[in-house]
Amino acid sequence: MSVKKITKSDFAGFVSALIQRESVIGVQAKGDRFDFAPLESAKDLRLDYDVTLQPPKKYLLPPMEVLLTYEVGGAYQSQIDDKKFILLGVHPYDVVAINQMDELFSQDNYDAHYMTRRQNATIIACDVARSSDHVFASSMGAAVVREGYDILLTDIGDSYLMEAATAKGNELLALAKGAVEADPAALRRREDIWTHNRKSLNKHELKCDPAYLPRLLAKAYKHPVWEERAKTCFNCGSCNQVCPTCYCFNVQDDVNWDLQTGQRTRAWDGCLLEGFTKVAPNHEFRKNRADRFRHRLYRKAAYVPQKIHGQIACVGCGRCVGACLPDIANPVSVYNRLIDDLGIG
Amino acid sequence: MAKPKIAIFDFACCEGCQLQIVNLEEEILSLLGGADVVEWREAMSEKSDEYDIALIEGSITRLEDEERLLLIRGRAKVLIALGACATIGGINKLKNNFDDLDEVKKCVYGRAASKPHLHTGFTKAIDEVVQVDYYVHGCPIDRKEFTYIVRSLLMGKTPEIPDFPVCVECKAKGNPCLWQYDQVCLGPIIRAGCGARCPSNGFRCFGCRGYTSNPNVDAAKDVITRYGLSVDDLKTKMVLFGSKQEPTIYE
Repeated sequence: MSVKKITKSDFAGFVSALIQRESVIGVQAKGDRFDFAPLESAKDLRLDYDVTLQPPKKYLLPPMEVLLTYEVGGAYQSQIDDKKFILLGVHPYDVVAINQMDELFSQDNYDAHYMTRRQNATIIACDVARSSDHVFASSMGAAVVREGYDILLTDIGDSYLMEAATAKGNELLALAKGAVEADPAALRRREDIWTHNRKSLNKHELKCDPAYLPRLLAKAYKHPVWEERAKTCFNCGSCNQVCPTCYCFNVQDDVNWDLQTGQRTRAWDGCLLEGFTKVAPNHEFRKNRADRFRHRLYRKAAYVPQKIHGQIACVGCGRCVGACLPDIANPVSVYNRLIDDLGIG
Repeated sequence: MAKPKIAIFDFACCEGCQLQIVNLEEEILSLLGGADVVEWREAMSEKSDEYDIALIEGSITRLEDEERLLLIRGRAKVLIALGACATIGGINKLKNNFDDLDEVKKCVYGRAASKPHLHTGFTKAIDEVVQVDYYVHGCPIDRKEFTYIVRSLLMGKTPEIPDFPVCVECKAKGNPCLWQYDQVCLGPIIRAGCGARCPSNGFRCFGCRGYTSNPNVDAAKDVITRYGLSVDDLKTKMVLFGSKQEPTIYE
């Protein structure tokens, strides 16, 4: 598909046209940080952001959602959210995370709640223009992405390059007044940015190819690092709550005051949390902090990869590193420690 | 099946948690549809000695209060502690930090300190006197959580109360960590369920819902060191709702 080039002022017009057309969720300032939020005006869009507080995941898998309404002992009605929306400004590592969630939610029990939102979402990705304090997407091979979006934007200085990857993306690009075919110099500039990002989004450098991590973890289950790190773990689940690839949830029923009807909700859960593994009758099978600490890092690089053709379920966004108060969550620091002790191969 | 009878009793407190029930406004009618409220001093004049569910607000500071509470426990099938004063002793436990309560009284009430109604002892949470079946945490209680707990009990279900830290709800709301903005927030060791209301509005967590059942004291010590603070700095933040509660942090 062709690549368009658009000046920044024409781009603002394009964003306004998108806002007129449908609901747009775009990256905006939140205090001195950034986050995704409903975009009301093109001038609020901040594609120069480093990282958002929350990944865009919450628009596909909300922190809390009603799955169905029911009558006690009777019929139930699934609740499907089928509004169309545009996610604007998604960084490559977050696109990779969404691609992984798409696979996970469409396999085994097909999740109509997630998948309907996903099918109604248009993803306008955006190459990273400014690296965050803890990004290590380069180490995880997620600094640049070439699939999973409808449009990819790249800031090349005075203009953006816009590449549509789907029919939906092409249709939207038709709204971009003033866009012209990208010239070879602009395309070379984009290649340079990709080359740069593939190397430089790497504040924490993994000492191995991520593809090696499952084999590394296969021999690390009893390593002392789990106990050592978990000693200062609050089990606050901040690492889970800001993670673009954590998708575990808890399901609860709440009955209405008539005690006849009610709703079943699901809310984000987290493997670090006390009670995450509690089953009837009050048995908790991962009761130790260290076991829960280990579990998250095994999920990312050993268990989930088995479900998604070997892809590592950590995309290097670095949000957990910044969110962890005792600074123990950094996956790279744990994996590197294991490499130091256990070697590669 | 007859509607369960509910009675609401208050002890040492500001009665703000009862006020939260009053503030349910139209939803009170739904509550009354599912249960008979037979005693509730703040909202009605009737009294009763027969009830299934007793809601206890406030903490215990006098012997006669202990006796009254024991009587209520004996009559109620289910007893629920309502709000921080009842669940953890709350702000009332500040005075437990002092050895000489007469001195405390003089300091607070001056010449009025000898009045008979001020003749109180150390503060106890409700479960220091009688067995508590369910806890509605917070100062004040969260109305949504309160109604959820009542509905669960009316259905014969055990309500699910979070036993994880406030950070869970705070991060899910997309808040940046207040520690990074120079606030000594107690979120990492305090029980969630409030929806991280204070941190979401820019104020550190004061700890009104009490500690999680397994707070990590080592982690707390590590973090205060990391941020160049002392154990005392942390303790001064914990004293408002955390006085004479576990966990004790030693130097």
